[in-house]
Amino acid sequence: MTKYLIKRILHSLVSVVIVVGIVMLLIYSALDRQLIFAMDPTYKQLGNNQKEVYMYRMWEEYGYLDYVPYADYMNELLKNGEIDEATHKDAVKFGKKVENDTELQAQYVKQFTDHYEAQGYKVVRLPAKMQSPKKYVSGGQQQLFAYKDKPLLGRLWNYFTGIISVDNIHYVQEDIENRGLTFTWNDPVYGGEKFSPAIIGNGTRHKYLLYFSDSFPFIHQNLVQINLGKSYAVNLGVDVFETMIAPQGSYVLSSVTYPTGLTEESADDLHTAVYIAGSREASLVNKDRFLDDYTSTSTVKNAKSKVGFSFVIGIISSIMAYALGVPLGIMMARKKDKLVDKLGTFYIIFIIAVPSLAYIFLFKAIGGAFGLPTTFDIDKGSWLMYILPIVSLALPSVANLMKWLRRYMIDQMNSDYVKFARSGGLSENEIFRKHILKNAIIPMVHGMPGTVLYSLTGAIITERVYVVPGAGNLLTKAINMYDNGVIVGMTLFYALLSITSLILGDILMSLVDPRISFTSKAR
Amino acid sequence: MNNELMKFDELNMSEEELFSRVDHNDLESEKITAPRYSYWRSVFRVFFKKKINIIILSLFALLLVFTFVYPALVPYDQFEYLMDPTGKHLSPAAAIEKYGFNLKWIFGAGKSGEPTFDAVWNGAKISISMDFICALINMTVGIILGAVWGFSKKVDMVMTQVYNIIGNVPYILFISVLVLIFSAGFWTMVFALTITGWLGIAYFIRTQVIIIRDREYNMASRCLGTPILRIAMKNILPFMTSVIVTLAATEIPSYISYEVFLSYIGMGMADMSLGKLIYEAENAMLTPGWQFEFWTPVAVASIITVVLYVVGQNLGDASDPRTHM
Repeated sequence: MTKYLIKRILHSLVSVVIVVGIVMLLIYSALDRQLIFAMDPTYKQLGNNQKEVYMYRMWEEYGYLDYVPYADYMNELLKNGEIDEATHKDAVKFGKKVENDTELQAQYVKQFTDHYEAQGYKVVRLPAKMQSPKKYVSGGQQQLFAYKDKPLLGRLWNYFTGIISVDNIHYVQEDIENRGLTFTWNDPVYGGEKFSPAIIGNGTRHKYLLYFSDSFPFIHQNLVQINLGKSYAVNLGVDVFETMIAPQGSYVLSSVTYPTGLTEESADDLHTAVYIAGSREASLVNKDRFLDDYTSTSTVKNAKSKVGFSFVIGIISSIMAYALGVPLGIMMARKKDKLVDKLGTFYIIFIIAVPSLAYIFLFKAIGGAFGLPTTFDIDKGSWLMYILPIVSLALPSVANLMKWLRRYMIDQMNSDYVKFARSGGLSENEIFRKHILKNAIIPMVHGMPGTVLYSLTGAIITERVYVVPGAGNLLTKAINMYDNGVIVGMTLFYALLSITSLILGDILMSLVDPRISFTSKAR
Repeated sequence: MNNELMKFDELNMSEEELFSRVDHNDLESEKITAPRYSYWRSVFRVFFKKKINIIILSLFALLLVFTFVYPALVPYDQFEYLMDPTGKHLSPAAAIEKYGFNLKWIFGAGKSGEPTFDAVWNGAKISISMDFICALINMTVGIILGAVWGFSKKVDMVMTQVYNIIGNVPYILFISVLVLIFSAGFWTMVFALTITGWLGIAYFIRTQVIIIRDREYNMASRCLGTPILRIAMKNILPFMTSVIVTLAATEIPSYISYEVFLSYIGMGMADMSLGKLIYEAENAMLTPGWQFEFWTPVAVASIITVVLYVVGQNLGDASDPRTHM
């Protein structure tokens, strides 16, 4: 079994990598790059060479290519000490046309060109566009830059190697004192007297690597980070994983004592402090509050995260679906061809045939008529607003469960063991509950892990109709905004959920039914 | 005994006519005497025995008339009444009062003053055409490839992996990328729905073929040297007719649902299909008096899918030879 499982997991992981590869191929190669500017106001305002450069800069932001302007290259040389200040000042500017370069400029432009062309980059030089000999047309300044499309395999490799990052004390590049980890029994965030163990790092990205708090799951860590891909348009600069699990809603203020001893009403969560170089010096507020550069904190908010909302709604509706669907399915099978069965069949046909959008709106209209809230409001925390989304999600799955359970039970009803049980004098009730159901439920067990795991992804239509701030819309939103990082991240997330639920389903099925074995080579 | 003899006498036939010697005939002895049985005739006999099927079938015919004949007879221009400021978002009563009674005003008028009734049937024409074309392509490709997939173990190894991989790529992503690469037109939508849509059908057929493939009668057939193609066409395909019809019953309505879903999340086609009508009228649902704009396309889409589904299911039941007794 273990050997089989390991093989199976490896197979699945390979297919996940291929899936991500296909998606990358689709969005980075097949899609027209120009599309990302369709709704970009900046792009429309810019003209001529500036527009061209802006395009390359944005493409770099969206992850299409590597883009290096000449000035960056010169700054790099200056920083490395390869040229001095005066040379840099003379050489960083270059002529309006190639002929206008001074000798020094020509030398460095050539060095730049050679350096990047050797690495497979394309070097582009756009000569200035002039209105008159002295005046540029708008955005017509001369430009020089190098770019290279990222290759698919390299992109895949970088993506998968970067998914899990472990914080370490060499993260901070600047010179700081006392790099290392310290362990304390008394967490300074709680005033330094209360008993609460914590591991604090210096030189790491996060200040608090391990700490306790009074909120679920009580022990928290910042040591291992999951990066599914940086978002650009949807949630600027924030990782997809973070976007999914970050709390939403309005700030929760509490009195916070900062490391300097200053106490303020604030929503900052000091445990999430992240290092940002030079940030203490840069702002007076930070100087008042902090003793070091670990100044960037996330805030405490009062509502669940996107995944949180989706999961709560999804899991309750799945439980409801099983609680209703299984008894109803059994009833339909027992009263085959009677009224109950016919009504159930009618309901199943309704759910299968009618477009899901139609019946969700129907549920919304009916619920609204009963005075239930039809839209979701994060700030109002009332439990009533959960009812309609949960019901709208549960009722279709009830139909699905009824359909299959009825089918499987009716298939079992003519088996010999049922006839034997009946001739042995067992009551119909006993036969159905103890014998038929146990056999009929086995194929249904396979789908259970999937039901639970897919609650995490949220439901697209339901969440849209009831304005639930869940994870269901993230993918469609990302597609509409051409946010490639989010698309790739969500694909990976979906693919991982799908393979996990398949494997778990198989394991669960073999646990429930000892006859099922995945190791036998007989077949 | 006497009685029977009496009967022979009544026939007024000579002994020769009644009894003649028949020689042994090898060919004749191979024939099996059984009642005449035509498969498709029995299918339709069983199908029409249920009265409900006749009702639903005539409803289906009526729907087809409205979707394909009505738009051809009554010209429809979405912006015909655009310039009339009093003609927008009319309830049925107001529209009939304004324009006089006409079939096209019985569901009121939409946001540019267009008659909702006409808009819905023109939308239905686009949706149903797309639906049938997609179903035809997917079913044909799916059944042929699924049969090959089920028969060949080598193909099975490869295709199962392909299925696992393609199945994990979000469907919306495929469609939206294709819509973005080409334009959001009718044929792009067909292409997007068929490029991976056949895989599910092929997988289903593959499972069915595997179940039937190794039954004894097929093994016997193979031992007798029947070519694979003949086994597939004569031994297995008839067995699967009812399965295929039932599958078609769930497949055909699903494309309409899918089109509605895609249009609703803003990734559908640019033509005014049923889904697009629902998407555009979503805001009207909340405004009192405007609901007809929203519920009419929803109701028509639902009726079409339910009718298609029920016809298909009942045809599927009827095409199962076990119901022909």
